[in-house]
Amino acid sequence: MAQAIVQVEHLNLTYKHLHAVQDVSFSVKPGEILAIIGQNGSGKTSTVECVEGLRKPDSGSIQVFGKDPWQRRSEVYKEMGVQLQEAQYPSKIRVEEQCKLFASFYERPADWSLLLTQMGLDEKRKRPLHKLSGGEKQRLSIILSLMGRPKLLILDELTTGLDPEVRQNMWMSFETIRKSGVAIIMVSHYLDEVETLADKILYLEKGRQQFFGTQQAFRAYVKGRVSPKEWDENSSLEKLYLMIAPKTTGLTMEGIL
Amino acid sequence: MKRFMMICNMELRLYTRDFFGFFFTLVFPVLMLLLFGSIFGNTPIYEGSDLNMIDVSVPAYAVMVMGVTGLISLPLILAGYKERKIYKRFDATLVGKKSIMAAQVFVNLIMTLMGISILLAAGKMIYNIQIKGSILSICLSILLSTAAMFSIGFLFTAIGHDLKSTTLLCYLFYFIMLFLSGATMPDMMFPDTIKKISAFLPMTHAVDLMQGAFAGDSLSLHGKELLILSLVTIVCTAAGAAFYRKKDWT
Repeated sequence: MAQAIVQVEHLNLTYKHLHAVQDVSFSVKPGEILAIIGQNGSGKTSTVECVEGLRKPDSGSIQVFGKDPWQRRSEVYKEMGVQLQEAQYPSKIRVEEQCKLFASFYERPADWSLLLTQMGLDEKRKRPLHKLSGGEKQRLSIILSLMGRPKLLILDELTTGLDPEVRQNMWMSFETIRKSGVAIIMVSHYLDEVETLADKILYLEKGRQQFFGTQQAFRAYVKGRVSPKEWDENSSLEKLYLMIAPKTTGLTMEGIL
Repeated sequence: MKRFMMICNMELRLYTRDFFGFFFTLVFPVLMLLLFGSIFGNTPIYEGSDLNMIDVSVPAYAVMVMGVTGLISLPLILAGYKERKIYKRFDATLVGKKSIMAAQVFVNLIMTLMGISILLAAGKMIYNIQIKGSILSICLSILLSTAAMFSIGFLFTAIGHDLKSTTLLCYLFYFIMLFLSGATMPDMMFPDTIKKISAFLPMTHAVDLMQGAFAGDSLSLHGKELLILSLVTIVCTAAGAAFYRKKDWT
């Protein structure tokens, strides 16, 4: 059995009075894709930011390539690529300049020129970043996460802002990347994406870990929590998730009319 | 080092693409020189003085360049990068945010020196200004005054909650110091009350030091200015660093 690239045990993180992550444990092995799912504010991004070494956990242990990412961030980033949820880049920098800059950080950078072509950004090389569309920025962000030929990729909302065709292409690309032995942690609200790509699922609710395991085990987990009347063996992952996710009320016409 | 130089190169390019920074660092001081030169001419600062108006204006305008880079350009870039989570993105790479911050300080220093050089060249070519001081004391005065301005800007970024409040703080202090320090008009023209206020502004001491160094004064005559500017640099940098450590970078 391959050793885990990421090993998280009993992770806890608090923001002032908010317990953002409570007792979360999971692991990721080479070639595995782990999807972290849950509602907004469930602690998904906080969890991955601890793994990325961007936040210091209150307690628990995190090992990435056997190292503490908070203490030894620069060593960990030699083999880890990340795509952050909200981060931006200097607006007046041009696409190819941004790629060249990130490529200069690594001894053996990826062929960014080829990646730009594959991601459909070849014609936008000279364009300043502030003139790119949301989807184009997202694609560039993915290219930059791949720049160091990482063995671990962390993608926070991978395909947000991308059109359906590009999303499908992206799924195929990450399937290929995974086959080369790269481990991927993805945070996603798109359950179709999770169903297609993920080997394992970490389901969080209000910062607490509800489930960690394979997709098959997730089905069994949901089955055990719903009435036989509700249960449908052929349900998609999205339907399964909606069966157990906390219910929210939608807009009523009362508040509008 | 190669990575750092690459970041510096990129930041330098971005600086030149920003009209405000480029214009007010490299062009505006020369325009001021031409404007005031055409109004007052290069006449002696007082009857019998061997120093002319432009001779004392050039080192004062050089402080104005330091003010633009140290109190506006540098802090607003730092605050903007923080607000837009650009530092966070750099923290999620091999290089980290400290490299890009160091690069921004370096680039602003280069631009300050370029701005001063252009100003000196214009002063020499158009008005044949006299520079009586030694290169060593002039360089030391430039570096210390620049360090003081940069450290104040650094502190403002650290205190400011966001880009908006940092901008307000920086512009407010920049313009107060610009007009009351003698950087734009000679402080001998100020009424006594303004002179008293002016004595509390770090930029006033930078102007005095620079004018003294250019006029050929020994730096030992400017112990007060050297002490104040050194203290400003140390205190503002230390306080700024302390506030910075408390900031949430994520």
